[in-house]
This record gives sequence, C-alpha cells and structure tokens, in this order.
Amino acid sequence: MDVLQLIANGMMAGGVLAVPAIGLAAMYSVLRFPNFAIASHATAGAFAGWIANASLGLPVLPSLIVALLAGGAIGLLTDEFVLRPFRRAGFITTAIGSLALTIGLENVVRLVFGNEMRGYDLPLARDVVLAGIHIGPQQLQNVMVSVVVMALVFGFLSFTRMGKAMRAVADNPPLADIKGIDARMVARIVSFMGMGLAGLGGMLIGLDSSIDPLTGFRVMLPIFAAAVVGGLGSIPGAVAGALVVGVAEELSLLALPPSYKSTVAFLAIILILAVRPRGIFGREAY
Amino acid sequence: MKRRTFLSGAAGLAVGLALPYLARAQGGPLKLGVLTPLTGAGAQDGPRMLKAMQAVVDEVNKAGGVLGRQIALIVEDDQTNPEAAVRAAQKLVGVDGVPVIMGTWASAVTSAVAPVCWDSKTCLMTVSGADSITQLPHQGYIFRTQPTTTLQATKHAEYIVSTGAKKVAYLAVQTPFAVTMKDIMTAVLEKNGSSIVRGVVYEPAKASYRSEIDSVLAAKPDMIYLNSYSPDLTVLLKDLFRAGYTGGRFTQSYAYNAKTAESLPAEVTDGLVAVQPSSDVDSNAYALLQKRLGVASPDSYEAQATDWVSLTLLAIEKSKKTSGADIRDAVRSISQGSGARVASAVEGLKLLREGKDVNYDGASGNCDFNEKGDIIDCRFRYSLAKGAKFELIKIV
Amino acid sequence: MVIYLLSISVVATIYAVMALGLNVMWGTAGLVNLGLVGSAAVGAYTSALVTTRMGLPIPVGLLAGVLAAVLIGALLSLVTTRLKDNYLAIVTLGFAETIRIVASNEIWLTNGTDGISGIPGPLRAVLTPLQFNALYLAIVVCLLGLVYVVCQRILYSPFGRVLHAIRDDDVVVGVAGKNGRVFKVQAFAIGSGIVGLAGGLYAHYTSFIAPDLFVPLITLYVKLSLLLGGVGNNRGAVVGAAIVIVVLESTRFLVPLIPYISPTQGAAMREIILSAGLLIVLRFRLKGLVPEAHDHLTVRPQQNTAGLRPATT
Repeated sequence: MDVLQLIANGMMAGGVLAVPAIGLAAMYSVLRFPNFAIASHATAGAFAGWIANASLGLPVLPSLIVALLAGGAIGLLTDEFVLRPFRRAGFITTAIGSLALTIGLENVVRLVFGNEMRGYDLPLARDVVLAGIHIGPQQLQNVMVSVVVMALVFGFLSFTRMGKAMRAVADNPPLADIKGIDARMVARIVSFMGMGLAGLGGMLIGLDSSIDPLTGFRVMLPIFAAAVVGGLGSIPGAVAGALVVGVAEELSLLALPPSYKSTVAFLAIILILAVRPRGIFGREAY
Repeated sequence: MKRRTFLSGAAGLAVGLALPYLARAQGGPLKLGVLTPLTGAGAQDGPRMLKAMQAVVDEVNKAGGVLGRQIALIVEDDQTNPEAAVRAAQKLVGVDGVPVIMGTWASAVTSAVAPVCWDSKTCLMTVSGADSITQLPHQGYIFRTQPTTTLQATKHAEYIVSTGAKKVAYLAVQTPFAVTMKDIMTAVLEKNGSSIVRGVVYEPAKASYRSEIDSVLAAKPDMIYLNSYSPDLTVLLKDLFRAGYTGGRFTQSYAYNAKTAESLPAEVTDGLVAVQPSSDVDSNAYALLQKRLGVASPDSYEAQATDWVSLTLLAIEKSKKTSGADIRDAVRSISQGSGARVASAVEGLKLLREGKDVNYDGASGNCDFNEKGDIIDCRFRYSLAKGAKFELIKIV
Repeated sequence: MVIYLLSISVVATIYAVMALGLNVMWGTAGLVNLGLVGSAAVGAYTSALVTTRMGLPIPVGLLAGVLAAVLIGALLSLVTTRLKDNYLAIVTLGFAETIRIVASNEIWLTNGTDGISGIPGPLRAVLTPLQFNALYLAIVVCLLGLVYVVCQRILYSPFGRVLHAIRDDDVVVGVAGKNGRVFKVQAFAIGSGIVGLAGGLYAHYTSFIAPDLFVPLITLYVKLSLLLGGVGNNRGAVVGAAIVIVVLESTRFLVPLIPYISPTQGAAMREIILSAGLLIVLRFRLKGLVPEAHDHLTVRPQQNTAGLRPATT
C-alpha cells in the first residue's frame, strides 16, 4: 500500500478530529476535567447545522456557523447549570457527570429527531490527484478549517485581554482571583468556545459521513486520544495529536487488519506517554 | 433527605409503579413481546421493524383480532447491548408473560437472550445473521427469517456472476458472518470463472474508510460487494464516489433502505444494487406491505418484521392456544405444507377460522422453516437505486 | 414476576461486586479507572474458556478469571503508574476498548463477535429456571459478602491506610519511606481481580458472553453506583449498585405511562430520566448516600473560591 497515500488519508481523517480536539483542550486547560459531554455537543451542533442547511436551505458555510453557535450555546447552558456545581467535588465526579450529561443530551436529540440518518445538502466533490496522491477537496477544506480555528484560538488566548485572563486562570486560579479576574466569566467563555468547536467539528464529521444521535459518540474516543497524545490542555497539541492519531490509524493498515484500527489510538497514547508523560505539547497550559 | 428515607422511598416508588402495571396484566389484550434496538448501534433499524409489526397488529385488531382477543405489542429497548437486552427479556417473560419475543437485531443480543427464551418456553424471532444462533440448543424456540449465510452468499454470488462481473471485491463490517460469507462467495464465484480479488473486514463506526477503499480499488474490481449496515454504508458510498469508482456496487436492502437513500445525493447512489429476500414473483405479500406501510420500497427488515407477527398470530389461531410452546409447535403447520397460500395475517386468520389449512408466504419469502428454525429456501429481490427511488431489476 | 425480581437481583449483586472492586482502586487508593469492563471481560472470557474448552469446574474457572484479571490489572497499572489522574482516566478507557477489539478479532481464542455460548452454570441442567435463579442469587450474594469482608479488611489494614495516604497525598507516603508505586499497583491488581470475578459470575449466569457486552456504558453504571453510594465506602458501593439497577428497571414501567410518545421516544425518555435523575442525585448528594464512617479516613474538602480546581487531583 502506498505510504504517502496512507499519510494523506490519515491527515484528512485527523483534520476533522482536530476541531473538537481543540475545543476539548481549551476547556481542559481552564476547567481541568475531561469533558465527555463533547460527544453530545458535537451531535447537537451537527443537528443544528442540519436544520440550517437541509431545512432552511442555508449554504454550508453559514450552517457551520450555526453549528458552532448552537454547540456553544448548549455548552454554555449545560456547563452553567449542570456541570459547574460538580467541579468542587473533584474532576472525576465532574467527568462522570459529563458522561451522564452526554447520554442525556444524545437522547434529547433522539427524542426530537429520531434515529434516522440524515445527510446535508451538499454536492460531493470527486478527489483531485496531486503528485499521484488523491485528495478530497472537502477534506482539504476541513484540514484548513482546523488550522484556521487553531490560529484563531491561539491568537485569542495570546493577544486578547480575555484570552490572557483565561490563561491566568488556567495557570493559577487563586492568583487570578486575587488579580480580580472573574473566573466564572472565564469558565463561561471557555465552555462556549470549547463546545462551539465541538458543534462545528460534529458538523464537519457529518459532512463527510451522515448524522444521527450517535455521531458525536462514535468519534469521542479518537478525540480524547488526540487530546491526550498532544498533551491535555494544549491547543497546538490537540491539532498535532489529531494528526498523529489519524495518520497512525491509517499506517497501522500496513501491519494490522483494518478491524484493529481503533486500538492504534490507544497504543499511540501508551507509546507517547511512555516517552513524554504529559503528551507532545503537555507543558503549556494553553 | 435521610438515607433511609431515600432508600425506602425509592423502593416504595418502584413497587408503586409496578402495581398498576401488574393489575393491568390480568385479562385484557393478548400481549406479544418486542425486543428491538431503539437506542445504540442498531437504533437505525429497530424502529422500522417495530413500525412494521405494529402495522400488522393494527390491521388484525381492526379485523377482529385473534381468538376473539385484541393484540398488544409490549415493546422493550434492547439498547443493542446484551446485558440490557437480558434484563429486558427477563421483564418481558417474567412480568408480561409474553409467549414470543420478536425483533432482536445484533447477533450478540440474540445469543444472549436466547437462553432466557428457551428456559421460559418463549419463541424468539430474529433477523440476526450469525450462523451459530440456530445451532444453539434452543428446542425449536428460535425462528430466523434472515436467510442463512450460505443461502445468501450462494444466491448473491450467482447474481453477481449473471451481471458478468469477473473481479469482485468484498468489503464487510465486522460481524460474525463477515468471513463465512466471503468464503462461500469465493467458492461460488470461482466455480463460475469469476473471483474475489480483495476481501476487507473493517471496523464499524468510522467517519472515513478511505484507506480501506484504496486497498480495494488497487485490485481493480468491476463489482464491490458491500456487506454493511447503514451508517458505515453511507461513508463507504461517499468515499467510493470521491475516489472516482464507477463499477458495480452491491449491498443489502437493510443497509440501503429508503432512509439511507434520502440522506445521500443521487450521484453517489445511482447504479447501486440492493438485495433482499423475497417471496415468489406472483405473491402479493410485498405489495400488501408497501400499501400497509405507505412506503414504496420496504426493506428486508420491515418485511421480516411483518412476517414474525403474521406467523405468530396464525400459529395462535391454528393451535387455539397462546403459550410459547404452542406457537412453536404450530408455526410449521401454517408456514408450510399443502394449505391455501396466504400473503397476510388477516387473510390467513379468516381462512383458519373457516377451518381451512393455510400456508403463509410472507413479504420476506415463503417462510418455510427447517428443524433448526432457519428458512429452507427463498428468492431474492434485486433493485436498482435511481435517485432516492428503487427500480425492480428482478426476483430470482 | 418472581423470576424477574430474582434475575434483576442477581445482576444488581454482580454490579455491587464490580463497585467493590472499583472502590479498592478508586475509593481507597484514589486511582481512576474508566476501563473496568476490560477487567470484567478478561475475567469472563478466562472463566468461560477454562470451563468450556478445558472442561474444568466453574470454581476453577472463576479463580482463573480472577487471576487473569489481577495480572492484566497489574500490567495496566505498571504501564500507567507515572500518569496523572486525568491521563489515567482516558488511558484506562482506551484499555477497555482495546480488550473489546482484541476479543472481536482473535477468533481462534474468543470466537470473535459471535461470542461464547453454552457457558456452564451451577446445576443449570437439573434445576428449573426459577430454582436456578434462586440458587445463583444465593451464590452471588455469598460471594458479595465474602468480597465485602475482604474489602473491609483492606480498608482498615495497614495496607489500606497506606492506600488512603496515597489517595490524599502520595508525596507524604514517599517521605514516610513507603514505595507508593508498589502499593498502587497492588491496589489496582486487587480491584481488577474483583471486577474480573464479577465478569466471570456474569458469564456463568447468562451462559453467553460476547465483545459487545463489555462497552463503556457498563463502566459508567458502576462508577455511578459508587458515586451514589459514596466513594471510599464499601457499604455505599453495594447500596449504590442496587439503586442504579432499581432506577434502570423502574423507568421501564414508568415511561409507558407517558402519553403520546412513540416507543423510540420512550426509550430516549428512559435514558433522559436516568441521566437527569443521576445528575440530580449526584448534584445534591455529592458525598454519596452512605458517608465514610471514620473521620481519619475522610478527605478534607478543600474550598477554593473560583470553584475551578478539583479538591482532589
């Protein structure tokens, strides 16, 4: 099998995972718990985007923004009213709470939309061949979207007042508190941002495949694998981790049958953590 | 709230909820069990099967029911999980006392609830494809309307040969029957001067199958057999289109059903052949199903679900008894033999009440069962995808 | 009805055994494990293979299952011992999925996705289903009692006190001259073994196992059991498991009473009620229904004004 083609396929698969992985990393860097609700929020965003695109007839790009806003809004609400109170009980209680939340939300989607698969109104583009490697224009777009998102999130954290405040909270909450940074507001913004990216990612995944109430759940483990490999809480790490997981899964086909693909993400985690216990970019808090 | 108060409250609540339920259990309509995936990986298919079952029940109830009683379906969600399914089955047989459980989908779920069924003398009707299911020591309680792997592989391979395809690729989602299916198809194809040039068993629930497709296309097939379920089939069809593949594609109707067709652009699906087990050409069971469901092209699962309820009701009317063992013993006396051929439950019940013998030929085939509970033989219906519609190619 | 209650009780008891196993790792030593079903799968498969392929008696199978689960737990712990809690949570989740995928693929050993059927149960052939369920309930309750006693001993032994110290602050343990790593691996292995026992008990009860059985949802149920009952508390673990099963089962009777919804919506409602109910209970009973008995074993809740940092990491 052509190794370069496998790498290209892995980058395209990883590119889609990178967006929700960035969201997860951003939330983790401030809130300090693995938020499993990312699965249901990705699904919710995908369905919101579907309403905009297939029901209201909006083009894909504005629909993606709808997906982002919907994911963010739901993320903000659920964090404020469901998850926030858990945080003082410890990260694992919060993580378990987020798992329960994800099951609840998945079923709210099921209650409203049913189990049927839905597709977006988007003409499919055939692959283009570049230097013997065939690449999907839409998948290339996804990779670019995740790079742009990474740059935006990174810029926001590095150069804006609120971004700096977030990093302060992430680094040292009591100190940030003394300095008069409103930690609750920071938590709200990061929840909106993180879950918005989850919603956006959910729709990007749906554009490649189709959507149903399990859309987000199916990609939850790879997203977590990406975030851990990259270093929990690191934004560039999330992108790097998504690409590593994506490429590693495809390259595994050289040695393993395809039915073993998902184990590769786990092996990647074990290997990377054995060398660097905090992941590729784990040192940075942002 | 004190802990004890909470605990006794919870227990009290549970009993309180169960009491009216138990009271209603006495007398009233004849209860039949449905255990099907409404959540989890099989949730795309469970609700369709349930709708098809409910449609038959409604039709029969309107025509006077069975043995003078109305019929009620008691529905439990198997969550596509064997552990949840076993608890649900225990409830259906232990609390509702249903004589039959219909609708299990995942092979692991069927194998898990099967012992609960035969222990409680309850019939189990399923679409699960694993060959091992009917090999279980089930004392005759399992009826599988899904054709065996051997029957399907043989007939499908013969059809593929008839299209003139020489180089066939086989792509299958990981199931208990994925590999067996390929082996049998290989044998049939090779006998006819054709062959399987590549076989790939892939993981379910992936968002992309590009590399799997690349590996298949590298073998330059002129026909690809997609042994898939709908979520992965959608991705495969899109990835095949993107890769520029223009040869033949063949899949199961339960994967490419009307809902799947709606969710995909026509350019991706046109030319795909979907197959499902079928009754004889002259039977109107399928036409009746189309009318009953108001669906132009009911798929294999909807057809099989229709047949479970119909077989059960006819067996009850025939034996004049309602226990699981009676149904088990009576099924073959109404599904095969020299009786008058009937294509629906209502038609059959009418003849049975007149004291005549019937032979039910269903929407998913003739429904003639061997001693293990597998169907003996059936025809297959091949349809061509065109837009979101299906064109009948042939029934052989 | 009786047989239904018996079978549900058997399942609840097996969940309680799992919750006790989790409590050894998580409640006592503070080790996060989201991969419980991995240990359960190893225990179940080992016991099933030992009894069906090798024809050995069920107790031998169960014991082999426990040993295999102890080994896999120790191995996983050795690989992950340096990791922080957050990483450990995700690695263990991935571990369980890997076990499930291996079980799906290695057909020569596990029979693949087909699963293993015909796993023997004690006296199943000669008893009626009702008698079998009653007998099995008696057996699992006795084993639960045994495991409970063992866990209580661990909790109050010098070993348990070291584990508690590790949970609260493993640096101090190191300073006190104890090798924290060895204790952690031991706690993980023991917990994994108990969960493996639960897996084996389930296999011999239903007579069938398949990879699909061992999904993260089961782990979640056990975690919730422990959170409901009170982490670190063995009695709470048992009570919590019972509550989870009662909630799971009672929604079955509750939801059909809601008018104007389809069965699919009913199934969705069931899970919504379940998750909302558990979130509410977790929210308002954060310490669990059964609080830890002894003050010197309780973690002091650390207050912090931002409410962002977890109290225990």
